[in-house]
Amino acid sequence: MKKRIISVENLSKTYGEGENAVTAIKEATFDIYSGETVALLGPSGSGKTTLITMIGCITEPTSGKLSLDGELMYDQKWQIYDTRRIRREKIGFIFQAHNLIPFLNVLENVTIVPQMNGIKKATADQKAKELLDYLGVEDKLTKMPSQLSGGQSQRVAIARSLANNPKIILADEPTAALDGERALSVMNLLRKLAHEQEVAIVVVTHDERMLPLFDRILRVEDGIVKETI
Amino acid sequence: MINLAQRDIAHSLGKFVTTALGVGMLIGVVLVMIGIYRGMVHDAMIVPNNIAPDLWVVQKDTLGPFAESSRLHEDLKYSLKGFAGVKEVHPLTFQSLQMPKGDKPIRVYALGYESLSSFKPFTLTQGTAIKVRSREIIVDTKTGFILGDKITLGRNIYTVVGLTHKAVSSGGDPMVYLDLHEAQELQFLFSNEQIRNDRVRGAQSTATATVNAFALTLSPGFDSKTVAQEIHRWKHQEVYTQQEQSDILTKNLIERSAKQIGMFTMILLIVSSVIISLIIYTMTMGKIKEIAILKLIGASNFLITKMIAQQSLLMGIIAFAGGAIFANASANHFPKTVILIPSDELKLFLVVIIISILASIGGIRSALRIDPASAIGG
Repeated sequence: MKKRIISVENLSKTYGEGENAVTAIKEATFDIYSGETVALLGPSGSGKTTLITMIGCITEPTSGKLSLDGELMYDQKWQIYDTRRIRREKIGFIFQAHNLIPFLNVLENVTIVPQMNGIKKATADQKAKELLDYLGVEDKLTKMPSQLSGGQSQRVAIARSLANNPKIILADEPTAALDGERALSVMNLLRKLAHEQEVAIVVVTHDERMLPLFDRILRVEDGIVKETI
Repeated sequence: MINLAQRDIAHSLGKFVTTALGVGMLIGVVLVMIGIYRGMVHDAMIVPNNIAPDLWVVQKDTLGPFAESSRLHEDLKYSLKGFAGVKEVHPLTFQSLQMPKGDKPIRVYALGYESLSSFKPFTLTQGTAIKVRSREIIVDTKTGFILGDKITLGRNIYTVVGLTHKAVSSGGDPMVYLDLHEAQELQFLFSNEQIRNDRVRGAQSTATATVNAFALTLSPGFDSKTVAQEIHRWKHQEVYTQQEQSDILTKNLIERSAKQIGMFTMILLIVSSVIISLIIYTMTMGKIKEIAILKLIGASNFLITKMIAQQSLLMGIIAFAGGAIFANASANHFPKTVILIPSDELKLFLVVIIISILASIGGIRSALRIDPASAIGG
């Protein structure tokens, strides 16, 4: 049975006050379940990034409720003190530009998150090697990010996002910097991960060609989130 | 846990070490400044310590002979010998001289002493003491002269018969030692032309029996303060103990120089801390994206603070090590004595560590203000 991983209820975000107030997200309500791949689709400035940063406990909402993996995160105010712990333990992030730490090698880029969670280095290394092997970059362990191609870097970034056994992966246009073939490969990989590892994956994308690969599509227009069949 | 500071430094090692060594040069200069101060104190006490009297008798109302000019009649020694407790009286002259050597004259500090007595206000490393009054001279190796060299001073030529090592005046000039009467001639004898003119005017100007100070040794059991009071009372001259002379030298003579050096040292330390702060701040600002990613993936403030503080500390440590190597390697090449004491180096190391920690505060504050959302594209 699918477990409800992300629960968003009347979640809103308004920047500024009074006449200058701009509502980026208006009373969004939706649930996302384990193993699902969900696309956040919408034009630039529609509020996709605001929504994903609220789900990722980075941006504080203005009102509404947010629960992750059954734990209430926000209800008119943060319900937890350390939002970074939630990100460390429950969420994996993938960025448009792979955003690997340039002074860490491939293995260290992947093991840093579990090590921050107190996992022993040997265990973290073992897990990272398995992930990198799974993603086809096992021969790049000691390479620096500057020595990798765009596709290889994005695979390492995916490995990093999975290294803490997250319940949720939030991806911000992960295929934007890749050519069509590589972009398709990465999307297929994310889909496979979601289904095999029961991870809820939310992907911000502009690329409508990728839409058939998602289980659900949430359109964001002028801050209003609507589900598209 | 991965040491982020170490990895970041390793990633740009050349840049980091070069920067640290640049700061190290500044710290090295600070260390040399402290060493120069120590050297000044050391140099100032070489001559008084070599003479090592119990009392110094100098002209009334002066701080002579090192801090102020002092002139006394040489025959005062006979009445000084008459005081109870006075065992030996050594008349001395002191003067700065320019000794010709090659194209350039060398500035030296000359001490005149009774060469035929057993009193020897120096330690010879080569040659012999002056045995006869026949224009013999003892010089320090720092002058560059060797045994047997001939030196023209005034109207006479002197032969180097003995050498000392590292005997310098409070000003850092190498010492030379002359027989008292020859030194008196050098200092007090007028030129032949002036003597001739003075004779025509009816003035007597050939007397040279003047000295700058007397060094007194007391017999055992006599209190130097008591003897000093007696001499002051009856002979109307200034009398200082060796400790008082030492205080005059360190407090009066080199106090301003010490303050000057202290000011320079403070300025250099402030400049060093500003530079380290700017470097750490710039290094941190160069990693805005990486710090935003670290925060986004859940890195704690402690981890980020630790990274920046460790880098700052390591920069301070490398800078200090480089500075200490530079200072120690260059200390003997300075014209004046530079004395580097381990305790001074340890104190400066602690100061550098404190500066490094303080310098990292700006970078840490900036890093903690970085918004993790900036790692995500709009």
